[in-house]
Amino acid sequence: MIEFNHVSKIYGTVTALDDVSFTVGAGSVTGFLGPNGAGKSTALRILVGLARPSSGSATVLGLPYAEMAGPALRVGTLLDAGARHPGRTGREVLTLGAMTLGLPRTRVGEVLDLVGLTERESRRTVGGYSLGMRQRLGIAHALLGGPEVLVLDEPANGLDPQGIHWMRRLLRDLADAGCAVLLSSHLLHEVEQVADRIVMIGRGRVLAQGTVDELSRGRGLEETFLELTAHEDRRSTGAGAFPGTDAGRGAA
Amino acid sequence: MSRAGRHPNDIAGAAPSPLTKDGTMTATTPIPFRRLLLVEARKLVDTRSGKIITMVMLALVVASIAARGAVVGPKSQTLVGTAGIALGTLLPVLAILTMTGEWTHRTALTTFVLEPRRHRVLAAKSLPPLLAAVALSLFAMLVAVPITAVVAVVRTIPADWGVQPIWLLGWTGVNVLVAAQGLALGALLLNAPAAIVISLSTPVLWAVVGRLGSVGAGLAEWLDLNTTCAPLVSGDMTWSEGARLAASAAFWIVLPMAAGLVRVLRKEVT
Repeated sequence: MIEFNHVSKIYGTVTALDDVSFTVGAGSVTGFLGPNGAGKSTALRILVGLARPSSGSATVLGLPYAEMAGPALRVGTLLDAGARHPGRTGREVLTLGAMTLGLPRTRVGEVLDLVGLTERESRRTVGGYSLGMRQRLGIAHALLGGPEVLVLDEPANGLDPQGIHWMRRLLRDLADAGCAVLLSSHLLHEVEQVADRIVMIGRGRVLAQGTVDELSRGRGLEETFLELTAHEDRRSTGAGAFPGTDAGRGAA
Repeated sequence: MSRAGRHPNDIAGAAPSPLTKDGTMTATTPIPFRRLLLVEARKLVDTRSGKIITMVMLALVVASIAARGAVVGPKSQTLVGTAGIALGTLLPVLAILTMTGEWTHRTALTTFVLEPRRHRVLAAKSLPPLLAAVALSLFAMLVAVPITAVVAVVRTIPADWGVQPIWLLGWTGVNVLVAAQGLALGALLLNAPAAIVISLSTPVLWAVVGRLGSVGAGLAEWLDLNTTCAPLVSGDMTWSEGARLAASAAFWIVLPMAAGLVRVLRKEVT
């Protein structure tokens, strides 16, 4: 349902993304894992049409996002929970979204319930929200249209352990209901807990992808992650240099 | 516990797409422009700063008309014109904030994901300030009526109700142009402080340029929107005055708006 097809992005002399290809299928939670600055956010911005790839293409539900007529009804997106007008209430943020998408106002209350923001909290301005509350608000916004595809950039940032537990169950249930979820994170343990497939990225390149088990190779995901991110400079061949790292490619 | 959110078992049930109000539950139907317009109009007044700027504008219109009335007496058309000072200063600010706000607060990240056709969002943002210019002009006319009457009674002199319709129309037109200039500057610079400084300092700048010999005077004559607008109010515009107004409007509104549109369409949203 999400497809990156040889996506590269070059800013001047810096290659932010280098031939990124992977897919996310319906009913799965895919973790997009990489250190800070690896190109995760750039890739997600390209996916939802906020940036253009230098070459290659990214599609959602078979189309480039920006070419869908009403994309936000089918694709829920949270790119930066902090990017809100501080003077707007949480409820107002959701109301604007619901109005834009032509949804009944009752939907605002529904998504607030889903993410566990209380009536009272929803009437406060976002400027006074903690990062965790902003993340919940952002996830509520992404869920407004009842999407088939969810794209979340670092959604667990600022969530407390309870919040992470809650999000894990939320995403699991959405995936079980057929949703395709792509979430990025630089924190291995978060991703390990939530995702059933993982795409590892470093310096703009996909280093490995597969299920958590495949990537662990019997010694733990962390080992693989550290090894791949440490060696990526010296590697001359493709991802196949590490046996098994390519096992999940195309499986979605 | 509310903080944990609804029990996950309920979430799957809530996940299927809700029906839209008008039944257009489809991702192949574009968002109607009317909806975008309503949303962008709402964004003007749904924050504290938006409410404050609206209240300040309304209050300044009333205050300036009342103050002028107390000084010059019950001359309705003169009193209406006084409101132009407040509107000429604050309408561009409102227009600039509309255009730049999404970049200041990075809400463009949300807005352009909801509607990736950015030119439609820009069009929807442009109309409310222009409509506000018309509405506030009408408001000033309405306010001038009772104030003129009250001043006449208090001063016990007859009220001057002489108003030329063409003057009112031209005056409203000037306010709309001023708002449009703010929109164009905001769209071009995408930076509120810079656009506001330019918008507010141009009258001073033209006063200086106009004194810089014949070239400066010529420039001011053709490009200073404040000067070229003047014949609109007098109601008898000649062809050459019309050409000057068109030239200055092209320079201050059409060109920056076109460049701003290109910039917004291409800009990578971060």
